[in-house]
Amino acid sequence: MFFGAFKNQNAMFALPPVWIPDFTYIKNFTIMLSESYRYLLNSIIVTIGSTIVSLVFSLPTAFGLTFFKFKGSNFLADWILSTRMLPPVAAAIPLFMLFKYLNLLDSLFALIIVYTAFNIPFAVWVSASFFKRIPYDLIEASRIEGASWFQIFIQIAIPLSKGGIATVAIFVFIFSWNELLIALFFTVSESRTFPIFISAQVSQAQIIWGNVAAATVIQSIPPILLTIFLQKNIVSGLTLGAVKN
Amino acid sequence: MNKEKIEKLLFIVPTCLFLLTISIFPFLYSVYLSLFQAKLTKMHKKFFIGWENYQIILFEDDIFPTAIKNTFMIAFSSITIEIILGFIMAKIFFEIRHLKISNVLRTVTIMPIMLTPLCVGLVFLYILNPTLGIFSYILETFFGIEPFAYLGQPIPAKISIIAINSWQWTPFMMILLLAGLMTVPNEQYEAAKIDGANWFHVMTKIEIPSILSFVLLGIVLRLIECIRLFDIIYVTTRGGPGIATEVMAYFTYRTEFRSFQVGTGSASAVIILIISLIVTTIAVMLLRRVEKNEDFS
Repeated sequence: MFFGAFKNQNAMFALPPVWIPDFTYIKNFTIMLSESYRYLLNSIIVTIGSTIVSLVFSLPTAFGLTFFKFKGSNFLADWILSTRMLPPVAAAIPLFMLFKYLNLLDSLFALIIVYTAFNIPFAVWVSASFFKRIPYDLIEASRIEGASWFQIFIQIAIPLSKGGIATVAIFVFIFSWNELLIALFFTVSESRTFPIFISAQVSQAQIIWGNVAAATVIQSIPPILLTIFLQKNIVSGLTLGAVKN
Repeated sequence: MNKEKIEKLLFIVPTCLFLLTISIFPFLYSVYLSLFQAKLTKMHKKFFIGWENYQIILFEDDIFPTAIKNTFMIAFSSITIEIILGFIMAKIFFEIRHLKISNVLRTVTIMPIMLTPLCVGLVFLYILNPTLGIFSYILETFFGIEPFAYLGQPIPAKISIIAINSWQWTPFMMILLLAGLMTVPNEQYEAAKIDGANWFHVMTKIEIPSILSFVLLGIVLRLIECIRLFDIIYVTTRGGPGIATEVMAYFTYRTEFRSFQVGTGSASAVIILIISLIVTTIAVMLLRRVEKNEDFS
């Protein structure tokens, strides 16, 4: 597919296949981008937006679930985790109606909210697994010195878990970037994301493979680059923090 | 003391409220909608019909039962393939773990998990294309098999979906089982060597017992993914040919959003939800257990 992105329509159909294309042929990319830069921009806004909002909600909660001992904290954690496992397709129509009622359908805002909701459980659990590695004595000492929980959260927990938080952010980013189903329900024209644009190319009567290949390459760049940064923490992320390295 | 309580609540309550409105409420509303006859285009005209939607999709029509069957058939076959290939790959990575290149190789191997499923589907749509795909070129030149529309025939289409699914997710099983193999204490391997155990004994007596909880965790997490399988179907077969690759999530999407049948669509959504809840309960228990064991080690 990567090589196909650099082929013109003739080379695409050549038999035997043209294995190594001419990498200076970038017309597929320029055509694609001129048609779709708006949707690409939408995707970037929604992805970054939902990543930030997810972290703003999840990090304090993960901190609370780790360090506040209260009745039912385990149950609450399990409840949050279980919402992660629910199939989004089962929530799509009610959310569609909710946002229609609020007149927010086909808006990037609605997508950010929904992606955030689907990512919070993941983000809470994985960040909690990183917060657990902070020595409890450290927290206790600061409490004795009179620091508020908020101060401990900002000044101790976050700086000590930077790597873990980056892992969570990358995962949430990739999940939102890859999302297709909710976007299919929610976006009509204005707020279409890049995956929706790509899938529309395929449902046309004749698929222009050069363009599709170029779009696929563009769509795949962020996940590929970000996976390289994940390195060792990827196991933790994929198992919701259950497995450490 | 009271001030501290408020501060603590502020850490947790906003997220819970957010989840309740955007996540729990919609699922409950789906249950409510499933008891009505309703069209998405005329929602004000819905009327109560009780269990009839469930009656229709489960007993009067054979599309949804087929979708359930296909979903589990795809899940079962892909997960089996993923465990076998994943274990072999994990063993290889375990053996070369001291080499410098193993980190790079591992990162490359896990790439497919993170790729956009839509794009994975597209790449395979291209590879399997009968006139310009590499797959039919190889089949024809090396095996003399005439190309045909692989995704247009029921059985090849099913096999293709399973192949795409396992291609993307085998690395997940690999990395999970690798983490499991890492927990086997070195002494056990040495003891086995002294006792003169062969590789089969090492595998069945030492390795498999200690990675068992990892395998279970992998199965459950993958099952949850398979229940929502949608993107790949959407871009490659759209449930076809006929209903050969129809799965639960795609059926729900099609009913609700293509035929606007919100009532029956919601009924199928609720059934998916119930299946997920059962699998989820097991998953949560397993996650807790694996986490606990890890803390001890």
